[in-house]
Formats: sequence, structure tokens, C-alpha cells
Amino acid sequence: MLANKCWQTLSRYSVCCVAFCICLVISFKSLASTQLQSRWQQIESLGKNQSVYFYAWGGDAQINAYIQWAAQQVKTKYNINLVHVKLSDTSEAVSRVLAEKSANNNDKGSVDLIWINGANFATMSEHSLLLKQWANKLPNFSYTDPSNNPAVNFDFGIPTNGMEAPWGQASLTFYYDSLAIDGTANNTLPTTLNQLLSWSTKNPGRFSYPKPPDFLGMSFLKYALVMLHQQSDDTLKAQLNQPATAQNTAQVLSPLWDFLNKLHPTLWRDGSHFMQSGAQMRRLVGDTELSIAFTFSAPEVPAAVKRYDLPKSIRSYAMQDGSLSNTHFVAIPYNASHQQGAQLVANFLLSPEAQAQKQKAPIWGDKSVLIQSTLTPQQQALFKTTQPHPSALPLNSIKRTLSEPHPSWVSAIMQGWQARYGVSQ
Amino acid sequence: MSVVSNKLAASPALKPHKSADMFSKLVKLSPRFLLALLILPVIGGLISVLLPAFGYAPVLEHTTLGLHGFTMLMQTPGLTHMVMLSVGTGLISTLLAFVITLMILAAFFNSPWLNRIQRLLSPILVIPHAAAAIAVGFLIAPSGMISRLVSPWFSGWELAPNGMFPHDSFGISIILGLTLKELPFLLLMALGVLAQPELGKKLRQQHKVALNLGYCPMTAFFKVILPSLYPLLRLPILAVLAYASASVEMPLILGPNTPPTLAVAIMHWFNDVDLNLRIKASAGALLQFVLTGGLLALWLGGEKTIKALFSDLLTNGEREYGGVYWQKITTVLTVFVIGFILLSLIGLIMWSVAGFWRFPAALPEQLTLLHFKSALMQMQNPLFNTLAIGLVTTLFAIIITLLCLESEQLSAKPMSRFTSLIIYLPLLVPSIAFLFGLVWLQQLVNNQAAFLNVVFTHLLFVLPYVFLSLASSYRRLDPRFAHVAASLGATPCKVFLHVKLPQLFAPILIAAALGLAISFGQYLPTLLAGGGRIATITTEAVTLANGASRRTSAVYAIMQMALPLIGFILAWVLPKYFFKSAHR
Repeated sequence: MLANKCWQTLSRYSVCCVAFCICLVISFKSLASTQLQSRWQQIESLGKNQSVYFYAWGGDAQINAYIQWAAQQVKTKYNINLVHVKLSDTSEAVSRVLAEKSANNNDKGSVDLIWINGANFATMSEHSLLLKQWANKLPNFSYTDPSNNPAVNFDFGIPTNGMEAPWGQASLTFYYDSLAIDGTANNTLPTTLNQLLSWSTKNPGRFSYPKPPDFLGMSFLKYALVMLHQQSDDTLKAQLNQPATAQNTAQVLSPLWDFLNKLHPTLWRDGSHFMQSGAQMRRLVGDTELSIAFTFSAPEVPAAVKRYDLPKSIRSYAMQDGSLSNTHFVAIPYNASHQQGAQLVANFLLSPEAQAQKQKAPIWGDKSVLIQSTLTPQQQALFKTTQPHPSALPLNSIKRTLSEPHPSWVSAIMQGWQARYGVSQ
Repeated sequence: MSVVSNKLAASPALKPHKSADMFSKLVKLSPRFLLALLILPVIGGLISVLLPAFGYAPVLEHTTLGLHGFTMLMQTPGLTHMVMLSVGTGLISTLLAFVITLMILAAFFNSPWLNRIQRLLSPILVIPHAAAAIAVGFLIAPSGMISRLVSPWFSGWELAPNGMFPHDSFGISIILGLTLKELPFLLLMALGVLAQPELGKKLRQQHKVALNLGYCPMTAFFKVILPSLYPLLRLPILAVLAYASASVEMPLILGPNTPPTLAVAIMHWFNDVDLNLRIKASAGALLQFVLTGGLLALWLGGEKTIKALFSDLLTNGEREYGGVYWQKITTVLTVFVIGFILLSLIGLIMWSVAGFWRFPAALPEQLTLLHFKSALMQMQNPLFNTLAIGLVTTLFAIIITLLCLESEQLSAKPMSRFTSLIIYLPLLVPSIAFLFGLVWLQQLVNNQAAFLNVVFTHLLFVLPYVFLSLASSYRRLDPRFAHVAASLGATPCKVFLHVKLPQLFAPILIAAALGLAISFGQYLPTLLAGGGRIATITTEAVTLANGASRRTSAVYAIMQMALPLIGFILAWVLPKYFFKSAHR
């Protein structure tokens, strides 16, 4: 009897206790979410009407037009005046923030938002030049499914720690002039790195890559480096994901130099002059000076054909031995004058509306970072595409993605390249 | 005390005594202001480059003086090559432009062809360097117009051949671009000198006398005209030489990059992520300064040598040096130059409206206005910046120039040789050497006012041209008008505004158009002083020149040409409707 009563009381208590705990958890959760919400409301109210200076590479008319579209959108949404500061190299913005920091300008920086990834991000995060823990609190960040999608939290293997909001994804895609590469015995389409070398030997002057430190030229060298180490033993291969040091550099890079020594004499202008950028490389394909080229933004190829910048005979494909892939981001410098406005813009750039617009081939064609399953059917409908263009990369052609080596390899390759090939003999 | 102000002081009817004083004071101060405006930024900029070059850069936590920067510079691979490239392209292009100018002048002196050539070439003057480089690039590339005109019927090329130009490692493309761009400038400068009423008349008469004495026309020019003409051409030539040895736009678009010219390399170092490279860049800027100075000295030395070697030739009585052949060579050369320029302009216009245009077709498959439409959409903001900066800068330059020239007349004392030389200072000191220092200073003073910084920096380059353009007309103005007005009791201010300015309406507009053209064409000053924030048509054009779309960059280059051209057309048309009576 007594035991029974005891048990009853006990169970009543425990029910109460459990209920209390549930209440507590719920209220905490709602507290936290209301905190997040109120944080965002505060950002919204402060960020409205600001002028946001967006430092982004400005060499592509299509991308510039997209940024202009985004500027109009945030103007109507938040009355934000988004100014695109067109860079020819992102490092210009990095050096600007560095210069401001060294001049003790800690809150009136001129850069509000910056388009960045890889080595520039590594430099900025190493010197603590970026605003921390904001990107993962953006309302639209949840559409990227961050818990199941590590790509949005790592930039070239370095954790972003909320310093960068993902903006798009890219894979190295090749394209060629089908009238120039006609499939005859000495002129078949190269689909691996080694075939590329032998094709270029048979067809001298028809291939080249942009001069490092150009991003795309660097990417080609990294693709070659990763491919050349496919057969290496695991300890050597693992060095690619470690920082480059004085000890490992020579050993890791020697296959690359061997390869380039063979490749360079077969290149455009015998490898004595290199183009400045991927954009210039595309123009040379349009001029029929080059027959094969590559890009990190596959949809720019059909878009360029539609704008007459490339001939109709252009076709896209992915290398069979693998495609280098990465995500690109926007970041806010620690001393940005308009941090709230910049966050509003970054959040807008992550919205399904902006991402769908960006993914459309005629607009920009940059692959979205949003995960479709997190979106509502209406939002998913925004991403529906029409008939693919004949010059576009066929669906599912990327069979194997290669991840980027550690960013420190960029400067190691750069220095070695400059010393070997930067000065014509 | 001048006659005018003596009269003023004597006149009891002088009402607005105070304002007259104010105006006179303002006028009196303006030459000093002009000097300060030109000297301080250039010298300040040079010092701000000098200090980091010797290792003093507190912001980079370097405070020990030393030769560290120079050591770094000397260890740069390919430095000799860079220096050779800068020296070679600068010297050869200036020499070529100068020699061809002389040949054209000599061959066509006193012939109606000279005016026709002038009319054909003078629009080239307003084309900014970047646009000219783009146009030349279109022409000489392996897939360019020349190659298309001979393919495939003659050359058999179905795909663009492996070519050498542009970007050849000897800088031939740069030389070609610079020569074509500087040739019209020197020619127009020379024609401007010959158009001076007294000097021109005297020279033409002397030329005639020489012809009557049996000298062949070309010989007559070299023996009679050149010795009087050259001293007046010296400064423009030196400015061309200084520019050519240190410019950035042409080598950036046409030059090689393994390695580039010194000036381009310096620009890359200044922009590098690694801030320590700025020390090396500062040392490089000093090297550029010495290099350009050396080239100027070399030119002046060459002048002396030639004078010493050939002065006997002037009086040896020899009348003929194969003049007929030289005449023919010059005609061919002139046709070649004009044809080259026309062909590159035609190519530029065709690219701007071309649909598909695969090599080796000489004409586009279809024409479209798409590129103009999309470019104009993106162009609004840069266009506004270009115009705003140009107008503010030019207005300011004209006001200060007028005040300085007025002060010269009020004090009845011509400007000192020193002042005249200082006006040329920003054109003689390589801009890459002092601009970075200047930007550094501007950042210390006001970091945020990018627009003002750009206007101020443009002023350094606009002022000299506006001054040169206005000075001769102002000095030529008949002083009797002013005397009459003053004797009727007009204040100096009134004389200036109501008597002098209306008479100068046409020259002022020409100077304004020239000032606008110079401002529109500035690349490095806009980029640096604006911190990249202020986009103009020119900065966009240079960015796009190395970009993807030949068609879009053609549209930008055309815009770059159209803007100054509109300015000159206005300057030519407006005086026909306003102050007509004053227009002579």
C-alpha cells in the first residue's frame, strides 16, 4: 500500500520533472531561436540604408551583370546601395585590408564584402582580418544543409568558422573547338593529363594556361600536381593535404616540374608568354588561336557562345581522370564600415531566389550551394532548367572530383614556377 | 606696378574698391598656389617612396634604414630584362615618333597635304592610350585584321597561325603602339608652334628663300626650319620620352609578361598581398625615376652631340640629299601610318557590332547591337564618374590657369623659366614613381574621400596641358582692349570677366576639351587614388582588355574615343553660336 503510494508520488514527481525539463528545453530552444531572430532583426534594422562596398573580381561581363542585378534587389529590399568594386585580382582587396590594419584603421575599413576563397582566405584568416561567426547565423545558411554538407564549412581544407558565407560551387571543366579537334589520328580529344601532353606535342601552340598567380592557371597546375601523384605512395600523397615546408616541397613538386618541362615547349607562344586570365584564354579560343581551354564555371561556355564570344563549334567536357572542385565564398573584413549591410547582402546572395538566378545559364550559370531537399517545392521550382545548350557540359559528366591541395601549396608552386618559367631565357 | 593698376589707383570713380582688391589679391596669389599644387604632391610623393625604399616604413614595422629594398630588387629574376625593355621601348618609340614627325613635316611643309594629314591624325590625339592599345592589338594579333585579310586565300590559314604579336618578348608591339600614339601629339605640337603668327610667318618666308636659292624642300626644312623649331619642341618630346619609358597601359595590354616592363612589375609589386614587397616596389620606383632621368639626360646629350657633329652641314651649301627618294619614302610611310590607324579603327568598330566572326572571315557573319546594349547597361556608373571627375578637374584647372595668366598680365612680368618648367614636372617625373607615395600621403590625410583624391590627382596631369593650351592665346590677346576698358573705369575683375574671357571663349573651350580628354584617359591615377573604388570608362576598359570579350572591350574603347571627341566637337561648334563677334 505504502509502496504503491510511494511509487505514485514518485511517478507524479517524475512526470512533473520530465514535463518541467521539456518545458525548460523548449523555452531554451525558443529563447535561443528568438535570440537568433532578434539578433537578425537588429542586423536588419542597422543594415538598412547602408552603402556596401563589394570587392569582387570584375573581369567577366556576365558576373558583373549578375552583381548589378543583386544590387538592384537589395536596393528595393533594404535600400542598400551595393557598390561593386571591380578587381582584376582579389589579392588587391586583401592587401588593402592588411594596409588598413597596419595603419590602425580598425573600424572604418573601405572593404565591406569580399568575394574570396582558397589562398586569399587562408591569408586573411591567418592575419585575423575577417569578421568571425556570422555566416553560420545567416537565416538562409540553413538551406545549405551544413550538418550534412561539409563543403560549406571548409575552404581548401581550412575550417571557415563562420567567417565566410558560401556563394557557389565550381569544378574544372574543359572545352574545345570541335572544328579544330576533328578526331583524326593525330588530333583526338585528350581526356587525361597524359593525353593532353601528347596531344599538345602533336598540335603545338594550341593549348596554354593563364600565368600564375591567376586563379585558373593555378588551378590547372594543382590539377596536374594531384594527377601526377595518383600513383605515388600514400605518405607522399598525404603531403598534399599538409602545409608545404622547406623539406617536402622539392620532393612533392618535382613531378610537376618534369611534366611542365615537357609541356611548355608545346604551348601557345612556346610557353614564352602566358595569358593573364581565364577570360583571356577564352578569347583566344574564340580567335581560334587555342583549340582547347578550361574554366571553373562550366555554364559560362554556352553563355559565351550565345553572346557570340565563342564559335558555335565549342563543346564542353570533363577530364576522365578527375575534376578539381571547390566552393567559393563571400567574407566580411573585421574592420568593415558596414558590417550589418554586408550580412544582409550575404544573406540575400544565399537566398533561393538569388541562387536560382545565378544558376541560370544565360545569367551566370554558377552551380548553387543550396541543397534541394531543404527547399520548399515552390523554391525548388525556381531552379528548373530548360533544354541544355549544345555547348554546355552534358549532365553528370563529372565522374570523379579531386579535392584541392592545402592552400600553402599555392605559394610553393608560384615561387617555383616564377623562378623556372617567369623569366624567359 | 602695372599700367592698369596705376590707372585704377588714380581713378576716383572706383566704386567697388574692396572687391577689386580681393580679385587682384587672388590673382596675385594664384601663381604661387599653382606652384604649390604641382610641386608639393610630386615632391611629397617622391619622398614617400624614397623612405620605404631605404627601409623606413613604420606601418610595416620597418624602421631601420638600409639597402634591404634595393637588395631585394637586385635579386629579382629578370630585372635586367625588365630595365632593358623599359629603356628600349621608351627610347625607340620616342625616336621613331620624332623622326617620322620630322619627315612628314619636311616632306609636306607648305603643302596642302600637311593640313589634310593633320586633320586625319588629330583625332588620334584624343584616343586614350588604353583604347589605342586595344585597337593596335586587334590589328596585329595572329587572328587580327591583317592576318584575316590574307587568309585563307593567300596564307592557307584555316586557324589562326602561331604568331608573335602582340606580347612579343622584344617589346616591338609596345613600340608600335607608343609610336602611333605619340606621333600625332608631336606633329600637332610642331604645327602649333608653326601656327604662331610671327614665328610661323618668319619661318615660312625663310623656307621660301631657301627654295629660291635652290635648296630641295626637305633639305630646306632641315637646314632652315628645324634649328628654330626644335627648341620649342624640346619639352613635349621630353614629356613623351618620360611617359613612354614609364607607362603602364600599353605594356599591360601589348607587352610581354615573362618578364614585363619595369613599370608594370612595380605596379604588381605594389598591389601584392605580401606587403613587404612594397619596400621592393618603392626601390623599383626609385630605379624607374633614375632610369627615366637617365633617358632624358641621354636625349639632351644626344641633342648636343648631333648639334656638334652636324652644325657644319647647315652651312655647307649642299642643296640636295636624295630628296626625291626621301619624299617618296615619307609618302609611303605616311600612308602606312594612316592606313594602319584607319584599319585598326575599322577593326575596332566591326568587333563592337560583330555577331559570330570566326577566323579567317574578313567580315563578321552578322551584325548586332547586343554588345552596345549590354555594355551601356553596365556603363552608367563609370560614365557618371568619368564625366564628374573630368568636369570638376577641368573646371578647376581652367580657373587656376586663367588666374595665373591674368596675374602675368597684371604684373606685366612674364612667368619665370622655373615656373614654366615646374608646370611640366608631373609630365617629366614618371607617374609610377610618385603616385604610390602620393596615395600613401592621401590615405594619411583623408582616407574616405576617394572622389576628391582622384580629382586632385587628375589635376596634376590635366593642369599642364590646359596651361599650355591656354597660355599662347592668352598672351596673344591684344592688351589695348583691357586698357580701354580700364580707362573707362572698369575694375580688373570686370575687365577679366567681361572683356577678356568672352574674347577667349574659343581657346578656353579647346583647353577644356583637352583637359577633359586628358582626365578621361587617366588609368593609373584613377586606380591608385580612388583605391579601386572609383570606376571610370578607362579603368573598366583596361580591366576588360585582358578579359574575355573582344566585343565588349571594343565597345569600351569606342566609348573612350567618343567622349573626348564630343568635347572637341562642342568646343568647335559652340563659339559659332556664342560670342560670335569675339571669335576670330
